[in-house]
Amino acid sequence: MGEVILTMDSIDKTFPGVHALDHVNFELRRGEVHALMGENGAGKSTLMKVLTGIYTKDSGTITFEGKEVEYHNTREAQDAGIVIVHQELNMVGDLTVAQNIFIGREFRKGIMIDDRKMIRESKKLFDELHIDIDPRARMSDLTVGKQQMCEIAKAISHKAKIIIFDEPSAALTEKEIEDLFTIIRGLRAQNLGIIYISHRMDEIKVITDRVTVMRDGTYVGTLITNDCTKEDIINMMVGRVIYEEPKTHSMVPDDAPVVLKVEHLNAGKMVQDVSFELRKGEILGFSGLMGAGRTETARALFGADPRQSGDIYINGRKVTINSPEDAVKNGIGYLSEDRKRFGIVVQKTITENSTLSTLKEYMAGLFINKKAEKTVTEQYIRELDTKTPGADQLVVNLSGGNQQKVVIAKWLVRNCDILIFDEPTRGIDVGAKNEIYKLMNRLAAEGKSIIMISSEMTEILRMSDRIIVMCEGKKTGEIPIEQATQEAIMDKATRDIG
Amino acid sequence: MAKKKTIFSQEVIVAFVLIALYLIFRTISSDFGKYTTFLSMMDISYYYVLMAIGVAFPLITGGVDLSIGTGMICYALAGGFLIRNYNCPTGLAILVSIMFGVVIGLFNGVLISVLGLPPFLATLCNCMITRGLGSVVTGSFAVPWPTAKQANGWFHAIFKITTADKTKIPLGLVWIFLLMLLMQFILAHTRFGRYTIAIGSNKEAAVLSGINVKFYHVMVYMVSGLFAGLASIAYAAVIKTVQPGTGAGMELDAIGGAIVGGVSASGGYGTIYGTVIGAYVIIFLKQGLPYIGFNANMQQIITGLVLIGAVCIDIIKRKVIV
Amino acid sequence: METIKNNPIIKKLGFNRIILFIILLLMYGVFSVIIPGFASKARLMSILNYVYFLGFLALGVTFVIATGGIDFSIGPVMFCCALMAGYSLNTFGMPVIVSLLLTIAIGVCFGCFNGFLVAFVGVPPFIVSMATMNIAKGLGSVFTKTQSVSWPQSNDPSGNGWFRNLVKVNGIPTGLIALAIAAIVLYIVMNNTRAGRFILCLGSNKEAVRLSGVDVRKWQMLAYVICGTMAGIAAIFFVSAYTTVQPGLGDTYNNEAIASCVMGGTSMGGGLASIGGTLIGVFVISLLQEGIMAMRMTKEVQMIITGLIVIVFVYADVSARRRRN
Repeated sequence: MGEVILTMDSIDKTFPGVHALDHVNFELRRGEVHALMGENGAGKSTLMKVLTGIYTKDSGTITFEGKEVEYHNTREAQDAGIVIVHQELNMVGDLTVAQNIFIGREFRKGIMIDDRKMIRESKKLFDELHIDIDPRARMSDLTVGKQQMCEIAKAISHKAKIIIFDEPSAALTEKEIEDLFTIIRGLRAQNLGIIYISHRMDEIKVITDRVTVMRDGTYVGTLITNDCTKEDIINMMVGRVIYEEPKTHSMVPDDAPVVLKVEHLNAGKMVQDVSFELRKGEILGFSGLMGAGRTETARALFGADPRQSGDIYINGRKVTINSPEDAVKNGIGYLSEDRKRFGIVVQKTITENSTLSTLKEYMAGLFINKKAEKTVTEQYIRELDTKTPGADQLVVNLSGGNQQKVVIAKWLVRNCDILIFDEPTRGIDVGAKNEIYKLMNRLAAEGKSIIMISSEMTEILRMSDRIIVMCEGKKTGEIPIEQATQEAIMDKATRDIG
Repeated sequence: MAKKKTIFSQEVIVAFVLIALYLIFRTISSDFGKYTTFLSMMDISYYYVLMAIGVAFPLITGGVDLSIGTGMICYALAGGFLIRNYNCPTGLAILVSIMFGVVIGLFNGVLISVLGLPPFLATLCNCMITRGLGSVVTGSFAVPWPTAKQANGWFHAIFKITTADKTKIPLGLVWIFLLMLLMQFILAHTRFGRYTIAIGSNKEAAVLSGINVKFYHVMVYMVSGLFAGLASIAYAAVIKTVQPGTGAGMELDAIGGAIVGGVSASGGYGTIYGTVIGAYVIIFLKQGLPYIGFNANMQQIITGLVLIGAVCIDIIKRKVIV
Repeated sequence: METIKNNPIIKKLGFNRIILFIILLLMYGVFSVIIPGFASKARLMSILNYVYFLGFLALGVTFVIATGGIDFSIGPVMFCCALMAGYSLNTFGMPVIVSLLLTIAIGVCFGCFNGFLVAFVGVPPFIVSMATMNIAKGLGSVFTKTQSVSWPQSNDPSGNGWFRNLVKVNGIPTGLIALAIAAIVLYIVMNNTRAGRFILCLGSNKEAVRLSGVDVRKWQMLAYVICGTMAGIAAIFFVSAYTTVQPGLGDTYNNEAIASCVMGGTSMGGGLASIGGTLIGVFVISLLQEGIMAMRMTKEVQMIITGLIVIVFVYADVSARRRRN
């Protein structure tokens, strides 16, 4: 490890309603691979976005190569030598590999782009990295892994001094990960500073020199990788005070019937052979890290995305679900993780949103019975304690928690027996959170069955009667609440490679 | 979305379709094979093909330019008006026509790229505005350009020359061919072309790569306007008297040609040589159908259906391969 | 200003619509002052003749725009309906009532065609519009062998001219009643039926509506069918007012109908639509058309103005949306 190349000191950043970074410190040396770890929402990505100029910090200082710096966009950061390899690939699929690597800074001969030189240079880059990719191939024809390699090549071609890898291995096969590590070691040998964001504990042990852990937007600590164990890191990641007691035993009676049975569900790469059962009155927690395939499982089950295979049984009867329409007919409701895009119609009123999936029941002949509609909406506004001046309020004017209640109301009006809650408390303040928890418990007690997808460990432990853990599109564990601990779940969620 | 360069690429298939169409029409109608028929078909083809080459660029960015048809008429009216009423030298009038096209293109580009209007809507408005402008400038009177025999009618020779033994040669084909090569080169080998594809394929990624997307997006519509300007000269050379209020619907044939020639309606892919071949398929249909006994107006219906067919093929292709 | 805007009555009517209405009155006043003889009954009737067919067109296209789509084939579709049915009436001796029904039926067919392609196949609306525009023009020309078609006059000896009573009986503008009825019906459809609710919601957030278990494709198609149907009805009112239809024309009316919608507060982004606003917009456009004619300017001047109006209103809408998000 060389001298310090980057220091981030006391970085603070607040978004409306969220204190995303609370005086976070971070340090990177030349020739070091530095892991940045933390649960989802711990603030890792935000910190990196502040570094690369996507966000502006509220306070704190960034010192790069001994000078205080502040970038206003990724281009400035790139030019200075700080490059990020994104988790979501930023590629122009219709252009070739070489064209993508040099996009925005093409070599030229007069007015003509010198494609030959770009291909030559790309080839050189790939040779350096010992990767076998044809620079002339169309980007969208490559596998995700190969595209990732191209991103890395692009980063290196910027004469980078610092390269940030944001969960680079999420979409890679084992062989590709090994190749990636070879590349990273090569870069380290060239004295570059490397920031490595990942959830996979074993990768961290293999490739990194130091680990910095973040939690809830704060800096927890930095460890030398060789001097610590996996357990040390997990403890630092989850070590928050749990202000709510976790559930100690399942609330589901032993003789509760199975209402939903999913067998060998397959849908793309993110859902591979997932099977599970859901019982009446049960809250089934789905835990796992970002990109584990939980949302994809829910969407495939709900008919929102096509699935390749898999059988679904409701109350023992096999059903066909090919569209959300079928799912709703079979009494399944889905509360999306992305409320704005998939949950609510923001420009419409609470009433209009509440009866969206049940409008047929509020018809008087050809016309909508607006009175009945309003009555039922007001009933749920009271029941869920939605804070609004009235049922005619546009949903766009409500807070996140209240918007969530509107979506819940939509499914309660529909009287669904099976509810899928995908990150039900994301972006919601603590008070509203507790209300939603209470509501879920009440629904379960009333005999509804709930699948709850959550990335928050405390939420999973507090709410679930049983926990299913997913990792990389596969179900990796099923834990009864009596045996569930944060460590046990984290262990299944960060499965070892190779 | 593997668009492999096999012999079955859309461009090649369309080229075969073009040849097949020609042979079919020729077999059925003896008149179709005559040299004069060929000459008049080429005459008419120039302005359609020029518009098609221009509009290929907005289409590749995932947009569209609906103002090229009425625009072309408007620019031709403006140029002809200068010659007739102000004795303006033909060269200058041609330049004005072309620049007029570029200016309208710039206007389109600013509305779409800077102000964020949907492309079809912004260009639809300019379709109306150019149609109105053409009439207002000329006082709603038809405007003749100088004929080939007049001294200032030299521009006809750009498109068609008559040799000493009275044979007419469609010289315009040569220009079309050269322009096709030039624009294909620009699309494939310059930054402008590359960023045109990038905007259509993944605009967000293009922005993040530090490309001045707004600038290039405006340029795309200026190219489309420029070619509508060029088309106006070809139009004036063939039609001789330009009528205000016409031109609506001509953009469809140009856009249809580009899409038939393999330009993706959702953006990100297209070639200029494909566009030119596609445009000729449409022109053969337009001009050839009457020869084999169809009502001349059938071609409007057929080009409409061909356009929808071509887009459906594009959609299905993407769905199957994804 | 804010207090005026928040007044419940004004809120109910819509602040922007009231402003538009005031603009309409001002325009009428200005035209009456600067153009001699503008404030006459004959002029008013002439304006109304324009209002009728444009009103039906604009009301129909409001539904399509509410879904976030576009249909600029409606003008030629209207002409195609009038041409084909009128030709059948004159040539095959078809009873008038059948011809009128045929007019509407052709409109419905076009609506189904457009709607199916957009909602079920996924063809972009503007491409469908372009293609349909040409198909409609072509069909009209082919069917009539490129001859203009004249519908019977009201004093036609055959007695076939009775349908003209739709627009005017003894100087009473009955067309206004018809348009009002249509507007009320469509207002109810838009605001009080499932169709309207789903059309507006899917225009605002199609995916959320789909995930609520609604078959969005069906409702999206319905919007185009309504639009086509209204174009068919517009054709009846067009021939009732102007008698003669020429093939190959009609595309100026699309733009005027779309302009009426965007002026009236229907958002090009979908999800927001105002039947009342569209109607006021129709009156503004019709008044503008009459005023320009009375000033002895050409139709083309009006096209330029309409084009600019659309640009201004759509830009206002786009930037308002951007501010909200």
